[in-house]
Amino acid sequence: MNILGTGIVFTRGQGMDSFERALQEGWRSPGIVPSPPSIHEERRAYLVEHRTLSDRELMKKVRRADKLSKMAVIAASEALRNSTGEDINRKKTGIIAATALGAHVTTFDFLDNILEYGEASVSPTTFSNSVHNAAASYISSVLGTEGPTLTVTDFFFSFHNALQLAQSWLLEKRCDYILAGVTEQYGSVQAYVHDTKLTAAPDGRIRPFNFNPTFQVPGEGSVFFLLSHKEADKALCEVHDVLVNTDGCDVLRGDLDVIDTDGLLADESHYLQTLSGEVPVASYTPLFGSIMSGSAFTCAAGVRMLEKQMIYASPVKENPHGLNIAAETRPGVIELLRCIRYNCYGNKAVIYLRKK
Amino acid sequence: MKNKSVLITGLGVISAAGSNLPETMENFRRGLAHSGPVTLFETTLPYPVFEVRKIPASFLQESQRTISLALCAVAEALHDAGLGDDLSGYRVGIAMGTTVACQLNDLEFYKSCRESGTAPMHPVDLYLKGNIAEFISRRYKTRGPSLTLVNACSSGADAIGAALSWLKNGLCDIALAGGADELNRVPLCGFGSLGIVSHEICMPFDRDRTGLNLGEGAGVLVLETENSAEERGMAPDLCLTGYGSASDSYHLTAPRPDGAGLEASIRRALADSDIQSDEISFVNAHGTATQDNDVVEGNVLGRLFGSGLSMLSTKGYTGHTLGAAGGVEAVFSAAALREGWIPSSAGFRNRDDRIPLMPVREITNIAGDYALSTSLAFGGNNAALVIGRRQRA
Repeated sequence: MNILGTGIVFTRGQGMDSFERALQEGWRSPGIVPSPPSIHEERRAYLVEHRTLSDRELMKKVRRADKLSKMAVIAASEALRNSTGEDINRKKTGIIAATALGAHVTTFDFLDNILEYGEASVSPTTFSNSVHNAAASYISSVLGTEGPTLTVTDFFFSFHNALQLAQSWLLEKRCDYILAGVTEQYGSVQAYVHDTKLTAAPDGRIRPFNFNPTFQVPGEGSVFFLLSHKEADKALCEVHDVLVNTDGCDVLRGDLDVIDTDGLLADESHYLQTLSGEVPVASYTPLFGSIMSGSAFTCAAGVRMLEKQMIYASPVKENPHGLNIAAETRPGVIELLRCIRYNCYGNKAVIYLRKK
Repeated sequence: MKNKSVLITGLGVISAAGSNLPETMENFRRGLAHSGPVTLFETTLPYPVFEVRKIPASFLQESQRTISLALCAVAEALHDAGLGDDLSGYRVGIAMGTTVACQLNDLEFYKSCRESGTAPMHPVDLYLKGNIAEFISRRYKTRGPSLTLVNACSSGADAIGAALSWLKNGLCDIALAGGADELNRVPLCGFGSLGIVSHEICMPFDRDRTGLNLGEGAGVLVLETENSAEERGMAPDLCLTGYGSASDSYHLTAPRPDGAGLEASIRRALADSDIQSDEISFVNAHGTATQDNDVVEGNVLGRLFGSGLSMLSTKGYTGHTLGAAGGVEAVFSAAALREGWIPSSAGFRNRDDRIPLMPVREITNIAGDYALSTSLAFGGNNAALVIGRRQRA
């Protein structure tokens, strides 16, 4: 299947041009986020600023939605808009939204309701928005799509699962087009869990090639891709294959490996087993933060690299294992790119993107 | 050529209507429904619910009730399919729908976190290890796709639909698919706030219905390609022939009044099955007993199948099991098709003039080879499954 359009909302703005600028400019320090009084250390995170969600036309249609859904609507709308696919048959357009934590911030708001007002006086609007598939529903109603509209969840492989299902649906002609992507929101409870179970990067730098110890900086945002077998001449690139927890992830080597090392595993040494010294490796997680479904952001970088035939420098270059890392931004011939993610059970998922 | 290439080789179910399929069918035959006040947690809300009375001890997971329910249904389905506890020798996919198990909505954990800034990590650990499809995949050592669908009330049906796509596209040879959800305080409060929970026992499609009751349970199908079933020496009499899904593109909680999304999903499932609407023997409707759902759904079913359709809602036996509903009701539909009868639609007494057809009021024998199960979800997604009976050689 082909990627016809990509939309993104992340800490440095909205749109693939903003993302490309970030890829070119490199690492920036994350912002400092408010912490509860009991936390004495500063918390850092890559948050999406309110002004990024300022598309008035879109926002008035989702004025009751939470930030998670708003980010998703903006990213999905952009994926459609920049695909020259505005005229697609929306009855045959499906949505698969992937998320690791879903509407956890709104769920905790709803628990606030229960604790503060009692079980019988909670807000129905907050409850409706806390349901996991609210973001996909908002995308469907704003964009007028009438195909299947699903939300899938997994802590590390939700995006891979979404792509796999999209591939099947397109092959079956269940849909002509699918908007598949991820959305994740930062929250204070998540930050507490991160602080307790993982190591925060002391200087705000995720070190993707360290592997052990690892350092994380929470992030948030949304990425969506318009997928189709149609209009192949307009494709940005092809999703050549998606492999999850199966044999064959190392059979096909690409021209560049992009790894999702972001400090969300305390030990990321598994990645070393899959990298070859011959193929350069890059990681862009320091640009958008540690996000469980961050593979979609990595794929967005991959799409832009294949489209522009540019290899962007890894934003944090510490390389204690002497890997063949992409250290400089330069033009390069990239036919096939491999995006690699491990989960906490040592299972691997791979997305192959191929130049069109 | 009818589309009968994906077979149903196993069924498993647990709900307030019974802790396995034979017990459930017996309770259906006797018209027994078990509802009552909430006993699983403390609540001030007075709504009746449909709780599972006993989960067999061998399936109980500490503080993971949804997973316990799922394991119970999975074990029954695997046994029915002649499969054991180690599936590592097969290419098996897991697709499960849920709503509750995907959220860290532990009130005590959260209360501690917000009041003191700290909280014990045990609920977090359970949550992080509790992705339902991933859990089942690890338990049964499967190597294949694993997908947890969180599509509100159509999650279970959509999970079965996803598995159908995997099997047709060669991603696996066998799939465990369905849904599971526990009764939980958070959705009870949430649905209560929307004003759609009844203080009485639910009455799907009845003129005087006053809303839904929440329930809990799990329903799982073992789906299998013809080749795989043949290699294992299985000759099942049921198959999954079609799945349709379509969005209302309308509202976060209310169904589209003209039912266009539901109709599109049913038409797609029929087309997938390569059958006409008059080949459907009966419909196990979503039938939640809310005013909006039953009017919209009843009108779509009347429009597509005519007023003579044999139709029922089983929520009068189970309550609304949310993410489990599509799985639970697919199992009921498959079992009813195999046995050739459907139970009375519990709770229905009086016809609603706004709905052009009535659910069955007594045990009804059914002929024919196809059953339809429908699901409507928050967010406006609609899902339809067509289950078929194979003609035996």
